[in-house]
Amino acid sequence: MAFSKLYDTHDAAVADVRDGATILVGGVAKSNEPSGLLSALLRHDATDLTIVCDFSGWDGSETIPRLVKDGRVSRIISPYPFLGAHGGVIPELWELGDIEVVAVPHGTLAERLRAAGAGIGGVFITTGVGTRFDMDKESRSIDGVGHVLETPLRADFALLRCHRADGVGNLVYRGAQRGWNSVMATAARTTVVESDEIGEPGAINPELVITPGIYVNRIVRAAGAPAV
Amino acid sequence: MPLTETSAFKIARRAAREIAPGAVVALDRGLPELVARVTPESMGVWFLRADGTLNGIPLSAADAAAIVRGGYVDLAIVHPAQVTADGRFVGRLYARDASIAPPGIGVDLASGARRIIALHPQINEDEPEICLASHLLERPVDGVGGIDRVIADCAVFEPQGTEFVLSEIATDRQADDVVADSDLSEVVSISDYPAAMDFTVPSGTPESKVHADGASALHDLPDGVTVFIDGFGGPGGMAHYLLMSLRDRGSRGLTIVSNTAGIARVVSFGTPPGRTAIDHSVLIENGQVAKAIASFPVSPSVSRPSEFELAYRRGEVDLELVPQGTLAERLRAGGAGIRAFYTPTGAGTLIAEGKESRTIDGRDYILEYGLRADFAIIRAHKADINGNLIYRGTSRNFNAVMAPAARVTIVEVDEIVEPGQLDPEEIVTPGVFVQRIVKRPDGFTGYE
Repeated sequence: MAFSKLYDTHDAAVADVRDGATILVGGVAKSNEPSGLLSALLRHDATDLTIVCDFSGWDGSETIPRLVKDGRVSRIISPYPFLGAHGGVIPELWELGDIEVVAVPHGTLAERLRAAGAGIGGVFITTGVGTRFDMDKESRSIDGVGHVLETPLRADFALLRCHRADGVGNLVYRGAQRGWNSVMATAARTTVVESDEIGEPGAINPELVITPGIYVNRIVRAAGAPAV
Repeated sequence: MPLTETSAFKIARRAAREIAPGAVVALDRGLPELVARVTPESMGVWFLRADGTLNGIPLSAADAAAIVRGGYVDLAIVHPAQVTADGRFVGRLYARDASIAPPGIGVDLASGARRIIALHPQINEDEPEICLASHLLERPVDGVGGIDRVIADCAVFEPQGTEFVLSEIATDRQADDVVADSDLSEVVSISDYPAAMDFTVPSGTPESKVHADGASALHDLPDGVTVFIDGFGGPGGMAHYLLMSLRDRGSRGLTIVSNTAGIARVVSFGTPPGRTAIDHSVLIENGQVAKAIASFPVSPSVSRPSEFELAYRRGEVDLELVPQGTLAERLRAGGAGIRAFYTPTGAGTLIAEGKESRTIDGRDYILEYGLRADFAIIRAHKADINGNLIYRGTSRNFNAVMAPAARVTIVEVDEIVEPGQLDPEEIVTPGVFVQRIVKRPDGFTGYE
């Protein structure tokens, strides 16, 4: 092949993340998140980051809170920016004014990412009408029903996790891994995927491909995954 | 009083009694997930979870949210911090400042589900067992007017606008005591004859989706409705048998929404010599179609016009032309609860005439609306009896995007299998979108 999407190290795959970048982070649990890429991002020096994620710490993963604690993150966009009344470093820093927190309903975030990936300029939906989530948004009554305009959310990078990738970046996920990772893959300028397994082109049955390789720019082997 | 395992299971079993066989039930994280554990599998209930899985079928976050927003959720079960007598609720994951409180999936469920019930609202363990309020106390509202029942382990409460009514009470408790112990006398009145709470698990089985033949599957397709029908250039992916069944049924005045309005017959890719491919033409020549919404309604060959083309020239049918990608996106929007969206496709062309235009970040867009229909007639390779579908090759094209956008989706398949025989990872269309299944008869070829 004339070029390869395969990177040798997690650090190389995120080396060009710049200050001020918006980064989508896939997954809702340790097994679903790009833990190697997140570790590489921790070792990196880029700052003033915007992180878009579900809450990745349902089972105790601490990487995003650590990025926040290190002062690297200026904004979190998430349906679960933290958990509960004693949410740790994120609400603490928010109270000090050191970080911006943008709470977004789960499905609205997913649709904003999908819109970005699909070239949609905005969608009129009913989610959140009459709640704090319709404030400062354009609203419109369609057929007598209140709607709000939600806008696409594009990012510079997506750091994702998948189960299997082939050399051209076609991806399959396993179980709930598909959730955020497959939506985010389409919405970033540079999509970096950490895969448990990496095969040759053609190694994945085309009927089973979830994310076609056109959305994927870089592939790196998951930390701890055996070499093929 | 802290929530014990026993009381959690009691709440879950009572909540399960709200579920009809075959219903689609969305579960918020935590306590609501217990409802799936106590509901018998034989009830055929679809449980959609916050992690995006639907009875173990993994969905993208966007597809999972689309099921909720698209109106497919019969019942949502949430575990809020607080419920008011007018049915509003606030999420359990709250912050000291309302503006950053995590909405999770609660807001989606409140907006999209047909019915919502709340389990055991409680803010903290040191607060009263049940937190029902006459008004919300500086907390962000996640759901507006949606909750119609609150289930605790000892009683059931129904928000009735200005107060709650205690409508059920556990047989080992006194209604007066429950109201007094939880400090609810300000907001709750006790029904004259509260029913005894029933904690036995429900039963029942859903109606079978499998129909013996096309006539049975289309038995209630009336005149004048909108029908989605797949159809690309060639005969692949079309429900040929159901098209013939619809011709035999004879419903008239139909609006068909389809990529082509039937060109397989004139294009004849792969058609054996001497045979004719079955396509939408069978309906058009039978005088059943009043209008087509399509992206490629005419024959690519001037010398071989399609049936639709001929009917259009005779003035017998109307036509709405839609670019192919816009048609797909309008269908996706229709199924995903998106009323309208801005697309750059067609801006500045004839397609934009009469439509709202808008410049966003320097690019021109037009506003397009979601499409929904009464019926969809689609084709898949295999279905299990719950209606989960897989396709083969390019026949996935419009079938998969039409299935969620119709009230009644009827699928023609090569093979019907038992539940569990399709790998959840390979299911493309979850059965929540499929109401009726028909096996294509053995030996039926798709050609006349």
